[in-house]
Amino acid sequence: MVALAQLPDTEQLPEWLLDWPILLISMIVLVGVVLGYLLGRVSKSVLEAAGVPQSVEGTAFERTAQSLGTSTVSIVSRMLSWFVYGVTVLTAIYAFRPADTDWIWQRIVVFIPNVFIAFMVVVVGFVAADKAELIVSERLRGVKLPEVSLLPRVVKYTVIYVAFLIALGQLGIATMALLVLLAIYVLAAVIVAVAATKDLLSSAAAGIYLLLREPYGIGDRVTIGDREGVVQEVGVLVTHLEDDEAEYVVPNGQVFEHGVRRERN
Amino acid sequence: MVDPNELLETVLGDVDGILLFSPTTSFYEQFVDADVDVVVVASENDLDADPFVELPVAFQDVYDRVRFGIEGALEQGLLDDGDVVACISSVFDEDLDTVSRVRVDADSTSGVYDLFENTRAEPDVLRSVLELVIELGKKGQKGQPVGALFVVGDAGKVMNKSRPLSYNPFEKSHVHVGDPIVKVMLKEFSRLDGAFVISDAGKIVSAYRYLEPSAEGVDIPKGLGTRHMAAGAVTRDTNATAIVLSESDGMVRAFKGGSLVLELDPEEY
Repeated sequence: MVALAQLPDTEQLPEWLLDWPILLISMIVLVGVVLGYLLGRVSKSVLEAAGVPQSVEGTAFERTAQSLGTSTVSIVSRMLSWFVYGVTVLTAIYAFRPADTDWIWQRIVVFIPNVFIAFMVVVVGFVAADKAELIVSERLRGVKLPEVSLLPRVVKYTVIYVAFLIALGQLGIATMALLVLLAIYVLAAVIVAVAATKDLLSSAAAGIYLLLREPYGIGDRVTIGDREGVVQEVGVLVTHLEDDEAEYVVPNGQVFEHGVRRERN
Repeated sequence: MVDPNELLETVLGDVDGILLFSPTTSFYEQFVDADVDVVVVASENDLDADPFVELPVAFQDVYDRVRFGIEGALEQGLLDDGDVVACISSVFDEDLDTVSRVRVDADSTSGVYDLFENTRAEPDVLRSVLELVIELGKKGQKGQPVGALFVVGDAGKVMNKSRPLSYNPFEKSHVHVGDPIVKVMLKEFSRLDGAFVISDAGKIVSAYRYLEPSAEGVDIPKGLGTRHMAAGAVTRDTNATAIVLSESDGMVRAFKGGSLVLELDPEEY
């Protein structure tokens, strides 16, 4: 984009072109239109070849686009075209304008790509958010609890929030307050996750030791704490013991807390 | 001259339910508003059909397939004893081409649905073992027919009712029957004598096991060998399921609760 900002000085152009500014401008417009159209077509087929239509299928963004008679891929590729058209128009005006208003045009020309990137980030953010929501809700489909339906939505809005933050950052708008908010939110999520999975983590650590060293195996008669039985299964998180009446599911953390008594046979 | 439709009417008339075996989406949709119960039986519920019975193996034998579907529907309470159902399945091609009229009899179930769904071992584990055994039966070991005995589920008890014939090659390993490398590995190990023991979650606990259950009261068809007898006996003594590949006739047989539940010819799969 820097190259665009440093357009060749009008003095470097041949004399005859300067005498016919309308010719120069129409040439620029022609090149821009062809370039924009080609870029749009090429990007569309590249996106289609990359399987983007399949991967965005079913997301809310795609559905909205479909209801408007278009699709995510054509929106993105058309935006690319429009971006080139916009640059073309700006270049044309730049070439036509006298030099004293130069810096305004310079700034606009530099700023346009940022707007474009910000817009792209928002589009990608929306699609990614929908996709994340779909994946999470798909994973939780087996859990039939009304409260669980909140989780996919939280994931979705988190992704959108981050996308907007990036977009605003791209436009140079102060996002410090929003960043602090995000940091607080992430910190809270981490703390909750650690507090909630503390026991799971300690059991998993113990389970990895048990799987690696196998101090007891399937078929051994053991006592863990006050549960005695034959080992049926050793997993990462739990050990299944079974005696004649009942089956015990013992967290592996308890193996380390109480130790194991293994009967010799 | 009898109208063909009338003949079909005698088969399809007054049915209490319809079982569709692996229907296509468009075919299933014709039945959505039907005034009889429609049960879909397929290996995957990609139609989001409800009620649905999952087929663990693509039974080639229509008799087995229908039996599994009916017992599954019966177990889930979708059908009642004495119901008459029409089973629509495919015999020749992918398309549904065959209609059979079956009376549901809850007393004479073979337990083939029970074999997969109401076992200690996870249905997926049982399915993987069955697939493995079918493949082993098809290809054999270096072209030679092999025999094999897999005891699935209740591994703790099975281990206590058996003893090692030699060192256990699976000691301190964490191999699951669903893993892709297992196929090759088990094919190599299948020449070992003794049984494979597999836990509820699918971990291969041991090979080379000599099973020592008491064979009292085991009722298996006469003429089957010691391997089948051991399989029947171990499932009677424990809550395990046993899957046997016969070395002599190449058939795959599944035992549960001391009796033969399922018999498949691996060549058909």
